[in-house]
Amino acid sequence: MRRQRRESRVHERYLRHSKKFPNIWCAGCGIGIVLGAIIRAVDGLQLDKDDVAMISGIGCTGRMPVYVDFNTMHTTHGRALAFATGLKMVRPEMKVIVVMGDGDALAIGGNHFIHAARRNIGLTAIVVNNLTYGMTGGQYSPTTPIGALATTAPYGHIEQPFPIAELAVAAGAAFVARSTVYHVRELEKYIARAINVEGFAVVEAVSYCHTTLGRLNRWGTAPEMMRRLKENSVTLKQAESMSEEEKRGKIVRGIFVEQEIPEYTRLYDRIIERAQQRTSLQVETA
Amino acid sequence: MDELAAVEIIERKKVHPKHRLPRGHVTIFPNWCKGCGLCVEFCPTGVLKQGADGRVIVAHPEKCTACRWCELHCPDFAIFVTDVEPEEVVQ
Repeated sequence: MRRQRRESRVHERYLRHSKKFPNIWCAGCGIGIVLGAIIRAVDGLQLDKDDVAMISGIGCTGRMPVYVDFNTMHTTHGRALAFATGLKMVRPEMKVIVVMGDGDALAIGGNHFIHAARRNIGLTAIVVNNLTYGMTGGQYSPTTPIGALATTAPYGHIEQPFPIAELAVAAGAAFVARSTVYHVRELEKYIARAINVEGFAVVEAVSYCHTTLGRLNRWGTAPEMMRRLKENSVTLKQAESMSEEEKRGKIVRGIFVEQEIPEYTRLYDRIIERAQQRTSLQVETA
Repeated sequence: MDELAAVEIIERKKVHPKHRLPRGHVTIFPNWCKGCGLCVEFCPTGVLKQGADGRVIVAHPEKCTACRWCELHCPDFAIFVTDVEPEEVVQ
C-alpha cells in the first residue's frame, strides 16, 4: 500500500500574487505559519474562495488578509469582530474568519471579544498571541507574562496576563481551542473544526515575537523561541495530572470546550419570521 | 546522481522501499526566503543549510525523508517538498 500523496504548494492558489512578496513580517515570525495553517484548513474543507471572508484589525496580524484571495476587510484597531458581526448578519451563509492579535482582540477590542462570545454569533476568531505589541515596538499587551521586560515596562511587567482560551470559555463561546505555531498540524486541525462549528469559535495560536519582546528579554532568535514553544507546552490530558506549581509557565494545548448552543443569526432569522407573521396578521385584520 | 547513490544503497543493503532515501525533493524560492533559519534548525536529518547570504540552500538532498516540517513551518511559503516515488528512485 502506497502512502497517499499529499498535495504540495496548496497556498499558491490562495495567495494574491499582485501583492508584494516576501510578506511584511520579520524573518521567522509565527504569523506567516498561522496564515499557512488557515489556508490549508480552508483548502482541506474544500470551501470556495468566494464563500470565505477574512477580516482583521490593526497590528502585525492585521496584515494577514492582505495576502490572501478571499473576501477581505482590513478594519480599524480592535473592531474586526464588530465589522465581522455586521457581515455575518447580512450574509449568514458565509464563513467569516476573524484574525486578530492579542492586543487587538483583548485590549482595544476586549469588549467586542467577550460580547461576540456571549452572543454566540457564527464567527471564527483566530487570535495570534505573540505576547506583545510587535508592530509598535514591544509595549506590553494584555498577555505579556508577569516579570517580562517590555518597552513600557523597563523594570519588569507587574500585571497578570489574560488566559485567552479560558476567557473565551467563561464568556460562553461554542468552541475554544489553543495550540502553538510549532504544533502547526494540530493548529490546522483546530482551525478546520472551528470553521465548521455553528457559533462563536475561538482558536488561540500561541506565537512569539523575537524582534521586540524576545530581544528585550534575551529569549533568543526565532528558532530558539520556537524551541521554547515545543518544550513549554503540554496537552490538556497531561495538564490534568499536573500540580498548579508544575503548570506554571506552561502552555496548555487542546480543545477546551465544544458545545452546541443556539447561533445568533439563526435566532435572528426566527425573530424576523415572527415579526413578519404578526405584521401580515395586522394587515389581514385591517 | 544522488538518486543513483540511493539505488546503490537499496541494492547493497536491501533497504525496504519504505525506508529508502531520498523520499522527498526539496525546492526553495530564494526570492521569498528571508533566512530566518527555522527549517535549518528543525530539519530532522540535516538536509538544509544556510548559504553565504543567509538564505537556505539544499545541502544534502539525498537525506530528505519528506516529513514536510520545513514546508509546514515556513512563514514565507518559500520552501516545498514533493514526494519521490519508489519507481523514480529505482529507474
